[in-house]
Amino acid sequence: MAARPPRVIVTKIGFDGHDRGSRVIAACLRDAGMEVIYTPPWQEIPTVVKLAMEEDADVIGISSLATDHLIVPRLMSALRDAGMGDVQVIVGGIVPHRDEAVLLESGVARVFHPGTSLDDVVAEVRALTAKRRQMQGASA
Amino acid sequence: MDESLTRRILRGDRRTVAQAISCLEAGDERAIDVRRAIAAHQGRAHVIGVTGPPGGGKSTLVSALIKGLRERGRTVAVVAVDPSSPYTGGAVLGDRIRMGEHQADEGVFIRSLASRGHLGGLATAAADVIDLFDAAGFDVVLVETVGAGQSEVEITRYADTRVVVCPPGLGDEVQAIKAGVLEIADVFVVTKADLPDARRTESELQSMLGLRRNASWTPVVRKVCATSGEGMDALLNWLDDRPQRGLRHASVGENKARTVVTGCLAADNFGQSLGIELVSASAGNVTLRMQVRREHMNFNNRCHGGAIFAFGDMALGLACNSHGQMATLVDSGMSISTAVEEGEWLIAQATEVSRSRKIGSYQVKITRARDDAHVALLHGTVYVLDRPVEVAGSAPQTGATQAQ
Repeated sequence: MAARPPRVIVTKIGFDGHDRGSRVIAACLRDAGMEVIYTPPWQEIPTVVKLAMEEDADVIGISSLATDHLIVPRLMSALRDAGMGDVQVIVGGIVPHRDEAVLLESGVARVFHPGTSLDDVVAEVRALTAKRRQMQGASA
Repeated sequence: MDESLTRRILRGDRRTVAQAISCLEAGDERAIDVRRAIAAHQGRAHVIGVTGPPGGGKSTLVSALIKGLRERGRTVAVVAVDPSSPYTGGAVLGDRIRMGEHQADEGVFIRSLASRGHLGGLATAAADVIDLFDAAGFDVVLVETVGAGQSEVEITRYADTRVVVCPPGLGDEVQAIKAGVLEIADVFVVTKADLPDARRTESELQSMLGLRRNASWTPVVRKVCATSGEGMDALLNWLDDRPQRGLRHASVGENKARTVVTGCLAADNFGQSLGIELVSASAGNVTLRMQVRREHMNFNNRCHGGAIFAFGDMALGLACNSHGQMATLVDSGMSISTAVEEGEWLIAQATEVSRSRKIGSYQVKITRARDDAHVALLHGTVYVLDRPVEVAGSAPQTGATQAQ
Protein backbone atom coordinates (compact mmCIF):
# COMPACT_ATOMS: atom_id res chain seq x y z
CA MET A 1 0.00 0.00 0.00
CA ALA A 2 1.13 3.54 -0.65
CA ALA A 3 2.83 5.46 2.14
CA ARG A 4 0.54 7.53 4.30
CA PRO A 5 0.72 11.24 3.45
CA PRO A 6 1.97 13.49 6.26
CA ARG A 7 -0.90 14.78 8.41
CA VAL A 8 -0.33 18.38 9.38
CA ILE A 9 -2.37 20.75 11.51
CA VAL A 10 -2.11 24.39 10.48
CA THR A 11 -3.50 26.59 13.20
CA LYS A 12 -3.19 29.76 15.22
CA ILE A 13 -3.41 30.10 18.99
CA GLY A 14 -3.98 33.26 20.99
CA PHE A 15 -5.73 36.47 20.00
CA ASP A 16 -4.00 37.26 16.72
CA GLY A 17 -6.33 36.89 13.73
CA HIS A 18 -3.88 37.45 10.86
CA ASP A 19 -4.42 34.19 9.03
CA ARG A 20 -3.28 34.91 5.47
CA GLY A 21 0.07 33.27 6.18
CA SER A 22 -1.46 30.10 7.56
CA ARG A 23 -3.71 29.82 4.52
CA VAL A 24 -0.73 30.12 2.20
CA ILE A 25 1.09 27.42 4.14
CA ALA A 26 -1.99 25.16 4.17
CA ALA A 27 -2.36 25.43 0.38
CA CYS A 28 1.35 24.87 -0.15
CA LEU A 29 1.42 21.71 1.99
CA ARG A 30 -1.72 20.41 0.27
CA ASP A 31 -0.07 20.93 -3.11
CA ALA A 32 2.91 18.98 -1.81
CA GLY A 33 0.57 16.00 -1.33
CA MET A 34 0.00 16.33 2.40
CA GLU A 35 -3.24 16.10 4.37
CA VAL A 36 -3.75 19.42 6.06
CA ILE A 37 -6.19 19.92 8.90
CA TYR A 38 -6.78 23.62 8.78
CA THR A 39 -8.40 25.64 11.55
CA PRO A 40 -9.40 29.27 11.84
CA PRO A 41 -7.39 31.47 14.25
CA TRP A 42 -8.09 31.90 17.99
CA GLN A 43 -7.77 28.23 18.92
CA GLU A 44 -7.23 27.36 22.56
CA ILE A 45 -4.29 25.19 23.57
CA PRO A 46 -6.36 22.25 24.95
CA THR A 47 -8.37 22.27 21.70
CA VAL A 48 -5.20 22.03 19.62
CA VAL A 49 -3.95 19.14 21.77
CA LYS A 50 -7.25 17.27 21.36
CA LEU A 51 -7.29 18.03 17.64
CA ALA A 52 -3.75 16.71 17.17
CA MET A 53 -4.63 13.58 19.11
CA GLU A 54 -7.87 12.80 17.26
CA GLU A 55 -6.36 13.48 13.85
CA ASP A 56 -3.15 11.58 14.70
CA ALA A 57 -1.21 14.57 13.40
CA ASP A 58 2.49 14.23 12.65
CA VAL A 59 3.24 17.94 12.69
CA ILE A 60 1.54 21.03 14.12
CA GLY A 61 2.30 24.29 12.36
CA ILE A 62 1.64 27.40 14.46
CA SER A 63 1.38 30.66 12.59
CA SER A 64 2.13 33.74 14.66
CA LEU A 65 2.35 37.39 13.69
CA ALA A 66 1.55 39.32 16.84
CA THR A 67 3.43 37.80 19.80
CA ASP A 68 1.28 34.67 20.00
CA HIS A 69 4.48 32.67 19.69
CA LEU A 70 5.10 33.48 23.37
CA ILE A 71 2.39 31.00 24.44
CA VAL A 72 3.78 28.19 22.29
CA PRO A 73 5.87 26.84 25.23
CA ARG A 74 2.56 26.26 27.02
CA LEU A 75 1.34 24.25 24.04
CA MET A 76 4.55 22.21 24.19
CA SER A 77 4.07 21.28 27.83
CA ALA A 78 0.37 20.55 27.25
CA LEU A 79 1.37 18.13 24.48
CA ARG A 80 3.92 16.45 26.74
CA ASP A 81 1.38 16.22 29.57
CA ALA A 82 -0.98 14.45 27.17
CA GLY A 83 1.76 11.96 26.30
CA MET A 84 2.12 13.45 22.84
CA GLY A 85 5.72 14.57 22.98
CA ASP A 86 6.32 12.83 19.65
CA VAL A 87 4.16 15.32 17.73
CA GLN A 88 6.49 17.78 16.00
CA VAL A 89 5.75 21.50 16.28
CA ILE A 90 6.95 24.25 13.98
CA VAL A 91 6.32 27.98 14.31
CA GLY A 92 6.26 30.40 11.42
CA GLY A 93 5.75 34.14 11.17
CA ILE A 94 7.09 37.13 13.04
CA VAL A 95 9.31 35.73 15.77
CA PRO A 96 12.09 38.00 17.07
CA HIS A 97 15.42 36.22 16.98
CA ARG A 98 15.88 36.69 20.72
CA ASP A 99 12.68 34.62 21.29
CA GLU A 100 13.69 31.80 18.99
CA ALA A 101 15.94 30.13 21.56
CA VAL A 102 13.09 30.10 24.08
CA LEU A 103 10.85 28.30 21.59
CA LEU A 104 13.49 25.77 20.59
CA GLU A 105 14.28 25.12 24.23
CA SER A 106 10.60 24.42 24.92
CA GLY A 107 10.69 21.66 22.30
CA VAL A 108 9.70 23.46 19.09
CA ALA A 109 11.42 21.69 16.20
CA ARG A 110 11.93 24.69 13.94
CA VAL A 111 11.09 28.38 13.62
CA PHE A 112 10.54 29.86 10.18
CA HIS A 113 11.09 33.56 9.66
CA PRO A 114 9.82 35.88 6.88
CA GLY A 115 11.45 35.17 3.55
CA THR A 116 11.53 31.39 4.06
CA SER A 117 11.02 29.50 0.80
CA LEU A 118 7.94 27.27 0.68
CA ASP A 119 10.15 24.42 -0.54
CA ASP A 120 12.10 24.60 2.72
CA VAL A 121 8.86 24.39 4.70
CA VAL A 122 7.72 21.34 2.72
CA ALA A 123 11.08 19.61 3.14
CA GLU A 124 11.11 20.28 6.88
CA VAL A 125 7.55 19.00 7.37
CA ARG A 126 8.46 15.83 5.46
CA ALA A 127 11.57 15.30 7.56
CA LEU A 128 9.70 15.92 10.82
CA THR A 129 6.92 13.52 9.75
CA ALA A 130 9.53 10.83 9.16
CA LYS A 131 11.10 11.59 12.54
CA ARG A 132 7.77 11.40 14.37
CA ARG A 133 6.77 8.13 12.71
CA GLN A 134 10.14 6.66 13.60
CA MET A 135 9.60 7.68 17.24
CA GLN A 136 6.15 6.10 17.12
CA GLY A 137 7.50 2.91 15.59
CA ALA A 138 10.11 2.72 18.32
CA SER A 139 7.55 3.08 21.10
CA ALA A 140 4.93 0.77 19.57
CA MET B 1 -0.26 -6.90 18.05
CA ASP B 2 -1.80 -8.22 21.24
CA GLU B 3 -4.86 -8.61 23.36
CA SER B 4 -4.37 -5.24 24.98
CA LEU B 5 -5.07 -3.51 21.67
CA THR B 6 -8.62 -4.86 21.83
CA ARG B 7 -8.96 -3.83 25.45
CA ARG B 8 -7.65 -0.34 24.84
CA ILE B 9 -10.03 0.15 21.91
CA LEU B 10 -13.03 -1.20 23.81
CA ARG B 11 -12.14 1.07 26.71
CA GLY B 12 -12.32 3.92 24.20
CA ASP B 13 -8.71 4.99 24.76
CA ARG B 14 -8.59 8.00 22.49
CA ARG B 15 -4.95 7.86 21.42
CA THR B 16 -5.24 4.18 20.61
CA VAL B 17 -8.37 4.85 18.58
CA ALA B 18 -6.72 7.77 16.75
CA GLN B 19 -3.64 5.74 15.87
CA ALA B 20 -5.70 2.69 14.94
CA ILE B 21 -7.51 4.85 12.38
CA SER B 22 -4.16 5.75 10.82
CA CYS B 23 -3.35 2.02 10.62
CA LEU B 24 -6.68 1.34 8.92
CA GLU B 25 -6.04 4.17 6.48
CA ALA B 26 -2.56 2.91 5.69
CA GLY B 27 -3.92 -0.59 5.10
CA ASP B 28 -0.69 -2.13 6.35
CA GLU B 29 -0.28 -5.24 8.47
CA ARG B 30 -1.26 -3.33 11.61
CA ALA B 31 -4.66 -2.70 9.99
CA ILE B 32 -5.21 -6.45 10.14
CA ASP B 33 -4.56 -6.41 13.88
CA VAL B 34 -7.05 -3.59 14.30
CA ARG B 35 -9.74 -5.30 12.19
CA ARG B 36 -9.25 -8.47 14.16
CA ALA B 37 -9.43 -6.60 17.45
CA ILE B 38 -12.80 -5.01 16.63
CA ALA B 39 -14.36 -7.81 14.57
CA ALA B 40 -16.51 -9.23 17.34
CA HIS B 41 -17.60 -5.91 18.83
CA GLN B 42 -20.00 -4.47 16.31
CA GLY B 43 -23.57 -3.33 16.10
CA ARG B 44 -24.08 -1.21 19.21
CA ALA B 45 -23.69 2.30 17.81
CA HIS B 46 -26.31 4.12 15.77
CA VAL B 47 -24.54 5.01 12.53
CA ILE B 48 -26.03 8.06 10.86
CA GLY B 49 -24.82 8.97 7.37
CA VAL B 50 -25.21 12.55 6.20
CA THR B 51 -24.91 13.17 2.49
CA GLY B 52 -25.96 15.81 0.00
CA PRO B 53 -24.60 18.33 -2.49
CA PRO B 54 -21.53 20.50 -1.79
CA GLY B 55 -22.46 23.61 0.16
CA GLY B 56 -25.79 22.10 1.12
CA GLY B 57 -25.19 22.49 4.84
CA LYS B 58 -23.93 19.01 5.75
CA SER B 59 -21.24 20.17 8.18
CA THR B 60 -23.55 22.71 9.77
CA LEU B 61 -26.24 20.05 10.20
CA VAL B 62 -23.68 17.61 11.64
CA SER B 63 -22.60 20.28 14.11
CA ALA B 64 -26.23 20.87 15.15
CA LEU B 65 -26.76 17.11 15.47
CA ILE B 66 -23.69 16.80 17.72
CA LYS B 67 -25.07 19.56 19.92
CA GLY B 68 -28.49 17.93 20.20
CA LEU B 69 -27.09 14.45 20.78
CA ARG B 70 -24.76 15.73 23.50
CA GLU B 71 -27.68 17.45 25.20
CA ARG B 72 -29.38 14.07 25.20
CA GLY B 73 -26.34 12.53 26.86
CA ARG B 74 -24.95 10.59 23.92
CA THR B 75 -21.28 10.29 23.06
CA VAL B 76 -20.62 11.08 19.42
CA ALA B 77 -17.90 10.13 16.96
CA VAL B 78 -17.73 11.97 13.66
CA VAL B 79 -16.14 10.73 10.44
CA ALA B 80 -15.76 13.73 8.13
CA VAL B 81 -14.66 12.84 4.61
CA ASP B 82 -13.14 15.47 2.32
CA PRO B 83 -11.78 14.95 -1.17
CA SER B 84 -8.10 14.46 -1.91
CA SER B 85 -6.54 16.26 -4.85
CA PRO B 86 -6.54 13.96 -7.87
CA TYR B 87 -3.23 15.55 -8.90
CA THR B 88 -1.09 15.68 -5.78
CA GLY B 89 -2.97 13.46 -3.34
CA GLY B 90 -2.97 16.35 -0.88
CA ALA B 91 -6.05 17.60 0.91
CA VAL B 92 -7.26 20.39 3.12
CA LEU B 93 -9.56 18.86 5.69
CA GLY B 94 -11.77 21.69 6.79
CA ASP B 95 -15.11 20.16 7.73
CA ARG B 96 -14.36 20.23 11.40
CA ILE B 97 -14.06 24.00 11.27
CA ARG B 98 -17.84 24.18 11.41
CA MET B 99 -17.92 21.79 14.34
CA GLY B 100 -15.81 24.27 16.31
CA GLU B 101 -17.93 24.51 19.41
CA HIS B 102 -17.58 20.77 20.04
CA GLN B 103 -13.80 20.61 19.60
CA ALA B 104 -13.07 20.64 23.31
CA ASP B 105 -15.90 18.31 24.37
CA GLU B 106 -14.49 15.01 25.63
CA GLY B 107 -17.70 13.25 24.60
CA VAL B 108 -17.04 14.07 20.96
CA PHE B 109 -14.34 12.56 18.76
CA ILE B 110 -13.98 14.06 15.29
CA ARG B 111 -11.73 12.50 12.66
CA SER B 112 -11.18 13.90 9.18
CA LEU B 113 -10.52 11.41 6.41
CA ALA B 114 -9.22 12.32 2.98
CA SER B 115 -10.89 10.31 0.21
CA ARG B 116 -7.43 9.36 -1.18
CA GLY B 117 -8.77 8.71 -4.63
CA HIS B 118 -11.69 6.58 -3.47
CA LEU B 119 -14.93 7.23 -5.34
CA GLY B 120 -18.41 6.77 -3.92
CA GLY B 121 -18.44 9.62 -1.41
CA LEU B 122 -16.41 7.98 1.34
CA ALA B 123 -12.79 6.97 1.88
CA THR B 124 -11.41 3.45 1.48
CA ALA B 125 -11.02 3.08 5.24
CA ALA B 126 -14.36 4.70 6.15
CA ALA B 127 -16.24 1.46 6.76
CA ASP B 128 -13.49 0.19 9.04
CA VAL B 129 -13.30 3.50 10.89
CA ILE B 130 -17.06 3.35 11.52
CA ASP B 131 -16.66 -0.16 12.92
CA LEU B 132 -13.77 1.03 15.09
CA PHE B 133 -15.81 3.87 16.61
CA ASP B 134 -18.64 1.40 17.17
CA ALA B 135 -16.29 -0.96 19.01
CA ALA B 136 -14.83 1.94 21.01
CA GLY B 137 -18.26 2.49 22.52
CA PHE B 138 -19.53 5.69 20.96
CA ASP B 139 -23.34 5.87 21.10
CA VAL B 140 -23.65 7.56 17.72
CA VAL B 141 -21.30 7.62 14.74
CA LEU B 142 -22.03 10.51 12.38
CA VAL B 143 -20.56 10.08 8.91
CA GLU B 144 -20.33 13.12 6.68
CA THR B 145 -19.65 12.21 3.06
CA VAL B 146 -17.89 14.36 0.51
CA GLY B 147 -20.26 16.65 -1.38
CA ALA B 148 -22.40 14.19 -3.31
CA GLY B 149 -23.85 14.38 -6.78
CA GLN B 150 -25.88 11.51 -8.06
CA SER B 151 -23.84 8.40 -7.60
CA GLU B 152 -22.10 8.85 -4.26
CA VAL B 153 -24.44 6.45 -2.52
CA GLU B 154 -21.86 4.23 -0.87
CA ILE B 155 -22.99 5.45 2.56
CA THR B 156 -26.12 3.34 2.03
CA ARG B 157 -24.17 0.24 2.89
CA TYR B 158 -22.63 1.47 6.11
CA ALA B 159 -25.24 3.59 7.86
CA ASP B 160 -28.24 2.57 9.94
CA THR B 161 -29.92 5.85 9.07
CA ARG B 162 -29.33 7.84 5.92
CA VAL B 163 -29.85 11.58 6.01
CA VAL B 164 -29.99 13.34 2.64
CA VAL B 165 -29.50 17.08 2.90
CA CYS B 166 -31.63 19.10 0.47
CA PRO B 167 -30.84 22.81 0.57
CA PRO B 168 -33.51 25.07 -0.89
CA GLY B 169 -33.02 27.22 -3.93
CA LEU B 170 -31.21 24.82 -6.21
CA GLY B 171 -34.07 25.22 -8.67
CA ASP B 172 -34.06 22.65 -11.41
CA GLU B 173 -31.06 21.00 -9.84
CA VAL B 174 -33.29 19.82 -7.04
CA GLN B 175 -34.89 17.52 -9.57
CA ALA B 176 -31.51 16.04 -10.40
CA ILE B 177 -30.61 15.50 -6.77
CA LYS B 178 -33.95 13.90 -6.09
CA ALA B 179 -33.47 11.52 -8.97
CA GLY B 180 -29.92 10.74 -7.90
CA VAL B 181 -30.04 10.08 -4.19
CA LEU B 182 -33.79 9.61 -3.88
CA GLU B 183 -33.68 5.96 -3.03
CA ILE B 184 -31.07 6.03 -0.30
CA ALA B 185 -32.74 8.47 2.09
CA ASP B 186 -34.45 7.55 5.33
CA VAL B 187 -34.96 11.23 5.99
CA PHE B 188 -34.71 14.22 3.70
CA VAL B 189 -33.57 17.23 5.67
CA VAL B 190 -34.41 20.55 4.06
CA THR B 191 -31.67 22.77 5.44
CA LYS B 192 -31.55 26.56 5.69
CA ALA B 193 -35.23 26.72 6.67
CA ASP B 194 -34.82 30.46 7.11
CA LEU B 195 -34.55 30.90 3.35
CA PRO B 196 -37.79 31.74 1.48
CA ASP B 197 -37.52 28.73 -0.88
CA ALA B 198 -37.32 26.20 1.95
CA ARG B 199 -41.06 25.62 2.17
CA ARG B 200 -41.27 25.03 -1.57
CA THR B 201 -38.43 22.52 -1.48
CA GLU B 202 -40.16 20.74 1.38
CA SER B 203 -43.47 20.50 -0.44
CA GLU B 204 -41.78 19.39 -3.67
CA LEU B 205 -40.14 16.55 -1.78
CA GLN B 206 -43.43 15.65 -0.08
CA SER B 207 -45.32 15.54 -3.35
CA MET B 208 -42.58 13.53 -5.00
CA LEU B 209 -42.74 10.98 -2.18
CA GLY B 210 -46.50 10.83 -2.60
CA LEU B 211 -45.92 9.31 -6.02
CA ARG B 212 -43.81 6.47 -4.67
CA ARG B 213 -45.50 3.09 -4.54
CA ASN B 214 -42.86 1.13 -2.67
CA ALA B 215 -44.54 0.39 0.66
CA SER B 216 -41.39 -0.85 2.36
CA TRP B 217 -39.65 2.47 1.89
CA THR B 218 -41.16 5.37 3.77
CA PRO B 219 -38.75 8.26 4.15
CA VAL B 220 -39.80 11.42 5.92
CA VAL B 221 -39.10 15.07 5.23
CA ARG B 222 -37.88 17.38 7.98
CA LYS B 223 -37.17 21.09 7.66
CA VAL B 224 -34.46 22.58 9.86
CA CYS B 225 -32.44 25.70 10.36
CA ALA B 226 -29.29 24.40 11.98
CA THR B 227 -28.00 27.82 12.94
CA SER B 228 -31.14 28.90 14.83
CA GLY B 229 -32.01 25.38 15.94
CA GLU B 230 -35.47 25.45 14.37
CA GLY B 231 -36.72 21.94 13.64
CA MET B 232 -33.72 20.24 15.23
CA ASP B 233 -35.68 18.79 18.16
CA ALA B 234 -38.18 17.19 15.82
CA LEU B 235 -35.36 15.69 13.77
CA LEU B 236 -33.57 14.39 16.87
CA ASN B 237 -36.79 12.88 18.19
CA TRP B 238 -37.31 11.13 14.88
CA LEU B 239 -33.75 9.78 15.00
CA ASP B 240 -34.31 8.61 18.59
CA ASP B 241 -37.45 6.73 17.61
CA ARG B 242 -35.73 4.67 14.96
CA PRO B 243 -35.03 1.03 15.77
CA GLN B 244 -31.50 2.09 15.38
CA ARG B 245 -28.74 -0.02 16.82
CA GLY B 246 -27.24 -2.71 14.71
CA LEU B 247 -29.72 -2.08 11.94
CA ARG B 248 -26.93 -2.03 9.41
CA HIS B 249 -25.84 -5.42 10.68
CA ALA B 250 -29.13 -7.15 11.27
CA SER B 251 -31.83 -6.19 8.85
CA VAL B 252 -30.16 -5.45 5.56
CA GLY B 253 -28.79 -8.62 4.01
CA GLU B 254 -25.95 -6.91 2.27
CA ASN B 255 -24.69 -5.24 5.40
CA LYS B 256 -24.94 -8.42 7.41
CA ALA B 257 -23.01 -10.24 4.71
CA ARG B 258 -20.34 -7.58 4.76
CA THR B 259 -19.99 -7.84 8.53
CA VAL B 260 -19.70 -11.62 8.39
CA VAL B 261 -17.23 -11.52 5.52
CA THR B 262 -15.10 -8.79 7.13
CA GLY B 263 -14.93 -10.77 10.36
CA CYS B 264 -14.05 -14.04 8.61
CA LEU B 265 -11.37 -12.45 6.47
CA ALA B 266 -9.83 -10.60 9.41
CA ALA B 267 -9.60 -13.84 11.37
CA ASP B 268 -8.32 -15.93 8.46
CA ASN B 269 -4.59 -16.30 9.05
CA PHE B 270 -3.89 -17.89 5.68
CA GLY B 271 -5.87 -15.29 3.74
CA GLN B 272 -4.12 -12.52 5.66
CA SER B 273 -0.70 -14.01 4.99
CA LEU B 274 -1.44 -13.87 1.26
CA GLY B 275 -2.35 -10.18 1.56
CA ILE B 276 -5.94 -10.69 0.44
CA GLU B 277 -8.23 -7.65 0.83
CA LEU B 278 -11.99 -7.23 0.66
CA VAL B 279 -13.39 -5.10 -2.15
CA SER B 280 -17.11 -5.69 -1.69
CA ALA B 281 -19.53 -8.21 -0.25
CA SER B 282 -23.20 -8.96 -0.40
CA ALA B 283 -25.14 -12.10 0.45
CA GLY B 284 -23.63 -14.90 -1.68
CA ASN B 285 -21.26 -12.64 -3.58
CA VAL B 286 -17.80 -11.48 -2.62
CA THR B 287 -15.11 -9.57 -4.49
CA LEU B 288 -11.50 -9.63 -3.26
CA ARG B 289 -8.19 -8.32 -4.43
CA MET B 290 -4.62 -9.48 -3.98
CA GLN B 291 -1.27 -8.20 -5.17
CA VAL B 292 1.05 -10.85 -6.54
CA ARG B 293 4.20 -10.72 -4.42
CA ARG B 294 7.62 -12.33 -4.61
CA GLU B 295 6.58 -15.20 -2.35
CA HIS B 296 3.70 -16.05 -4.72
CA MET B 297 6.06 -16.72 -7.66
CA ASN B 298 6.90 -20.19 -8.98
CA PHE B 299 10.29 -21.42 -10.31
CA ASN B 300 9.40 -19.96 -13.71
CA ASN B 301 8.90 -16.51 -12.16
CA ARG B 302 5.15 -16.52 -12.76
CA CYS B 303 2.44 -16.44 -10.12
CA HIS B 304 2.11 -19.95 -8.67
CA GLY B 305 -1.12 -21.74 -9.56
CA GLY B 306 -1.53 -22.63 -5.91
CA ALA B 307 -1.53 -18.95 -4.97
CA ILE B 308 -4.18 -18.24 -7.58
CA PHE B 309 -6.25 -21.17 -6.35
CA ALA B 310 -5.86 -20.05 -2.74
CA PHE B 311 -7.04 -16.57 -3.73
CA GLY B 312 -10.09 -17.94 -5.56
CA ASP B 313 -10.80 -20.39 -2.76
CA MET B 314 -10.77 -17.52 -0.24
CA ALA B 315 -13.40 -15.67 -2.30
CA LEU B 316 -15.47 -18.82 -2.58
CA GLY B 317 -15.15 -19.55 1.13
CA LEU B 318 -16.27 -16.06 2.09
CA ALA B 319 -19.15 -16.04 -0.42
CA CYS B 320 -20.57 -19.34 0.85
CA ASN B 321 -20.27 -18.20 4.49
CA SER B 322 -21.63 -14.71 3.83
CA HIS B 323 -25.20 -15.73 4.70
CA GLY B 324 -24.02 -16.21 8.26
CA GLN B 325 -24.38 -19.98 8.15
CA MET B 326 -21.26 -22.10 8.24
CA ALA B 327 -20.43 -23.82 4.93
CA THR B 328 -17.45 -25.91 3.94
CA LEU B 329 -15.91 -26.78 0.59
CA VAL B 330 -16.30 -30.38 -0.59
CA ASP B 331 -15.25 -30.22 -4.23
CA SER B 332 -13.53 -27.67 -6.42
CA GLY B 333 -11.61 -27.21 -9.67
CA MET B 334 -9.84 -24.47 -11.56
CA SER B 335 -8.74 -23.63 -15.08
CA ILE B 336 -6.01 -21.04 -15.72
CA SER B 337 -5.69 -19.03 -18.91
CA THR B 338 -3.15 -16.28 -18.29
CA ALA B 339 0.26 -16.18 -16.62
CA VAL B 340 0.62 -13.39 -14.06
CA GLU B 341 3.71 -11.33 -13.26
CA GLU B 342 4.93 -10.12 -9.90
CA GLY B 343 3.37 -6.85 -8.77
CA GLU B 344 0.07 -7.31 -10.63
CA TRP B 345 -3.21 -6.91 -8.78
CA LEU B 346 -5.71 -9.73 -9.16
CA ILE B 347 -9.46 -9.47 -8.64
CA ALA B 348 -11.56 -12.48 -7.61
CA GLN B 349 -15.32 -12.27 -8.02
CA ALA B 350 -17.21 -15.08 -6.38
CA THR B 351 -20.87 -15.51 -7.28
CA GLU B 352 -23.48 -17.88 -5.97
CA VAL B 353 -24.80 -20.09 -8.75
CA SER B 354 -27.29 -21.97 -6.61
CA ARG B 355 -27.89 -22.76 -2.98
CA SER B 356 -30.23 -25.19 -1.30
CA ARG B 357 -30.61 -26.03 2.37
CA LYS B 358 -27.59 -28.34 2.25
CA ILE B 359 -25.65 -27.73 -0.98
CA GLY B 360 -24.30 -24.58 -2.59
CA SER B 361 -22.65 -24.10 -5.97
CA TYR B 362 -20.24 -21.22 -6.58
CA GLN B 363 -18.16 -19.78 -9.40
CA VAL B 364 -15.13 -17.50 -9.04
CA LYS B 365 -13.79 -15.39 -11.87
CA ILE B 366 -10.23 -14.17 -11.41
CA THR B 367 -9.06 -11.27 -13.54
CA ARG B 368 -6.01 -9.03 -13.78
CA ALA B 369 -6.95 -5.57 -12.45
CA ARG B 370 -4.75 -3.65 -14.89
CA ASP B 371 -6.56 -4.70 -18.07
CA ASP B 372 -9.39 -6.96 -16.90
CA ALA B 373 -7.69 -9.94 -18.61
CA HIS B 374 -9.22 -13.30 -17.70
CA VAL B 375 -6.80 -15.21 -15.47
CA ALA B 376 -8.66 -18.17 -14.01
CA LEU B 377 -12.06 -19.69 -13.38
CA LEU B 378 -12.89 -21.70 -10.28
CA HIS B 379 -15.96 -23.67 -9.46
CA GLY B 380 -16.82 -25.25 -6.17
CA THR B 381 -19.50 -27.13 -4.30
CA VAL B 382 -20.03 -26.48 -0.61
CA TYR B 383 -21.85 -28.33 2.12
CA VAL B 384 -23.96 -26.11 4.37
CA LEU B 385 -23.63 -26.98 8.04
CA ASP B 386 -26.34 -26.67 10.63
CA ARG B 387 -24.71 -23.89 12.67
CA PRO B 388 -23.90 -20.20 12.37
CA VAL B 389 -20.54 -18.85 11.26
CA GLU B 390 -18.17 -18.48 14.17
CA VAL B 391 -15.23 -16.14 14.00
CA ALA B 392 -12.38 -16.43 16.47
CA GLY B 393 -12.93 -12.70 16.74
CA SER B 394 -10.77 -10.55 18.91
CA ALA B 395 -8.99 -13.32 20.76
CA PRO B 396 -5.35 -13.40 19.72
CA GLN B 397 -4.46 -16.33 17.52
CA THR B 398 -1.68 -18.39 18.95
CA GLY B 399 -0.52 -20.04 15.77
CA ALA B 400 -3.62 -22.21 15.46
CA THR B 401 -5.64 -21.73 12.33
CA GLN B 402 -9.21 -20.64 12.19
CA ALA B 403 -11.82 -23.39 12.33
CA GLN B 404 -13.35 -23.03 8.91
